[in-house]
Amino acid sequence: MSQDVSKEAPARPAPAPSVEPRRRLLTRGTGLLRWVGALIAGLVVFGAFVLANGADPFAVYADIWTSTLTQPGQFQQIVLRAAPIALAGLAVVVPARAGLVNVGGEGQLIIGAVAAAGVALWLTPVASPWLVLLLMVVGAAVAGAAWAGIAAAMRLVVKVNEAVTTLLLNYVALYSMLFLILGPWKDPAALGQSTSVELNDAMKLPVFGGTAIHVGVALAVVAAGAVWFALTRTTWGFRLSVVGGNAEAARRAGLPVVTLLLTALLIGGALAGLAGFIQLAGMEYKLRPTFGLTIGYVAFLASWLSRHRPLPLLIASLVLAAIAVSGNSLQIGSGLPAASVNILMGLVLLAVLGWTSPRKVRS
Amino acid sequence: MTTDAVARARGRVGKPAALLEVRSLSKRFGEVQANWDVDLTVLPGTVHGLIGENGAGKSTLLKMIYGVYTPDEGRMFVDGAPVSPGSPADARALGIGMVFQDLRLVPALTVAENIALALPGGPTLRLARLAARITEASEAYGLAVDPSARVRHLSIGERQRAEILKVLMTGARLVILDEPTSVLAPQEVEALFGVVAQLRDRGLGVVLVTHKLGEVRTIADQVTVLRGGQVILNAEDPGNFSDADLVEAMVGRRVPPLAVERVAVPPRDRAVLELVGATALGDRGHVALKGVDLEVHPGELVGVAGVAGSGQKELCEVALGLRPVTSGTVRVGESVPGLTGAVAVPEDPVVDSVVPGLTVLEHMVLDGRAVPRRGLGIDWPAVGARTAVLDERVGLHMAPTKRTLSSLSGGNIQRVLLTRELGQDASLVVAAYPSRGLDVANTRRTQELLLEHRARGAGVLMVSEDLDELIAVADRIAVMHDGHLVGVVDTAGADRMSIGRLMLGGVA
Repeated sequence: MSQDVSKEAPARPAPAPSVEPRRRLLTRGTGLLRWVGALIAGLVVFGAFVLANGADPFAVYADIWTSTLTQPGQFQQIVLRAAPIALAGLAVVVPARAGLVNVGGEGQLIIGAVAAAGVALWLTPVASPWLVLLLMVVGAAVAGAAWAGIAAAMRLVVKVNEAVTTLLLNYVALYSMLFLILGPWKDPAALGQSTSVELNDAMKLPVFGGTAIHVGVALAVVAAGAVWFALTRTTWGFRLSVVGGNAEAARRAGLPVVTLLLTALLIGGALAGLAGFIQLAGMEYKLRPTFGLTIGYVAFLASWLSRHRPLPLLIASLVLAAIAVSGNSLQIGSGLPAASVNILMGLVLLAVLGWTSPRKVRS
Repeated sequence: MTTDAVARARGRVGKPAALLEVRSLSKRFGEVQANWDVDLTVLPGTVHGLIGENGAGKSTLLKMIYGVYTPDEGRMFVDGAPVSPGSPADARALGIGMVFQDLRLVPALTVAENIALALPGGPTLRLARLAARITEASEAYGLAVDPSARVRHLSIGERQRAEILKVLMTGARLVILDEPTSVLAPQEVEALFGVVAQLRDRGLGVVLVTHKLGEVRTIADQVTVLRGGQVILNAEDPGNFSDADLVEAMVGRRVPPLAVERVAVPPRDRAVLELVGATALGDRGHVALKGVDLEVHPGELVGVAGVAGSGQKELCEVALGLRPVTSGTVRVGESVPGLTGAVAVPEDPVVDSVVPGLTVLEHMVLDGRAVPRRGLGIDWPAVGARTAVLDERVGLHMAPTKRTLSSLSGGNIQRVLLTRELGQDASLVVAAYPSRGLDVANTRRTQELLLEHRARGAGVLMVSEDLDELIAVADRIAVMHDGHLVGVVDTAGADRMSIGRLMLGGVA
């Protein structure tokens, strides 16, 4: 073997400096395909479930298709359902950017609605309708933020994981609302039913002319745009992603880590509170035991489906809302209980998460 | 290929069959040709030194031999018989054992239990019988290890001996040692080489991977130098080569010696860093820094030596105010005209300073300095301009600023952080293992940068595992052992062995 140590390395394929852009494009393309594939996989498995229950899956799907997507009224129903899901989903997106897991959308939404209902209850007799509506918005956001703030405080002071506290606080929120509508806020006119007094017509969100779409839907879209801007275009959003990516690096860079975590969770809570407001003032008009049921959890799924990105979240919210709305026709068409669509929703989520997660290339 | 093989076979007539023979091994990862036409022959009863820079393909070669990767092309022979290990278990069955740099022992278990994990066994452990076998084997190979000791109570050197013993007891005849000396004190290195010599004398083959050239010359019978995935040099008796020859083979060109102009900086009465009785807890809640007194003066480079985990990390973090002291004081004086603040090279870049999904450019604003703003956001073009100036000034040639850090190798990550930190002026520089993952040329440049800071009047605190590096650049070397600062040695006239004794807790 040569002893000539200065021998030049013989020619060989030069390592390309970067293959990243091409690879990213590739994964983006296949990412969408996978999403569709996962959706189909979920539908196939659910079809087997339908078949096992003695119904024809093709008939069921055809029925769902015609009854939910081809009728304008039904499409509006989907949009109306999607709006609070999107807002509560943003309540997961923002904390997720900072590495926090907010499972408390359900409770923050309820507390937001309770605050809005309280504002309406006390101020309707004394203030102008517009002022009341404005204060309902503010009250819902502040209450949602405060509810999330409890979890934030526990995380920052006594270091309890926020996923646990936000989840537990959902029950506290639900039973607090039940306490109010079973007792002090119970509508005496609602015979035997436990609901709060229905909102005055002036406090119900106005709808866009000729449709059922209320302005709360626009609020959700604007909020998604605002969150997108804040996360991707502001210093605050950049800092959140530093904290979420590596909190130790953020600390060493001198970033105010505690403030960032706190603001992320508080803003999340405020967004979920707003979801409660539009659900109250745009959809249900009064608190009742099933108020806003599962919106917070579905929103959690929507956020995960969209990989915690605000604009795709809007689409994920629509998809999940469509599945939820299709539950009604499912019941009519096949005799399956409406809640069986939750199985479909779960299957789709599992398929999407399992199939579209970025794989570790090689450690 | 065939005629070559015939010629080689003819050349070996009368010699013992090679323990391991690797022919024309190639491996490609995506666009990177990690190994290209690599040959390696290890004869029984020899020590084969394998050297090369980071990224030269050493790890890839070893992983193919150990069955972790499958070669794209090429063949392997053990005792002359063709083999293709498909997993580490296959490799072990062939008598190939590997001692990884990050030792693969379970800290909570005893040495015997760890070895039991590696051995094929029945449903019962039979630890007592195993312990007897371990004692027997450890005497036979001169590897003093207590089978009943818990691994977490052992020093790094002892753990390494346990790991080697484990590999030997699983029947290895070819032992691959991956950078075994990088974490050891000089005395421990000597002890390790005693063991290696013993293995050789018993007819085993040893592959010693290292980047310390002196070690290759001392212990190896054969040397193979890899560069860019190819064998650049393969020779017997590495003692015949000078450091400069071997470096040239590794790097591909002559590397001029470090210009150590010790610019005399006028002494000042106030230190830039002053620790008095500094005591601090480590991450696990134990006392990791025990009453350390240390001053770093302007224009002084103080090296910190010690066996890994002796409190260096905590010392750096205390100096930077990142870790509170439980007693004692830390004072950072702003006594150098024109210089303020501190810059730091973190001990563990990936854990301490890297946000995987963010780009190089986005990392450049995470230095604690004011960030150029535009409206509500960051003025990224201004950051880009600032970064270009920094990169030019530092000269470590960072990866393109659009790359995400998660797509960079360890050495490239290190260059990003070094550029960001060492490119700024500061009165205090705290650099933990600054040359981690760097090639020879960039290591040299990093040392120059530290000396430039020193020449500008900054106080530099530099932690390194490499005593030679510290002796080359430091004015004084502070030696740590078990959280204590056991001695401060003037580099002029410093002696490796006495520093080594301090590192092991003895008296100089």
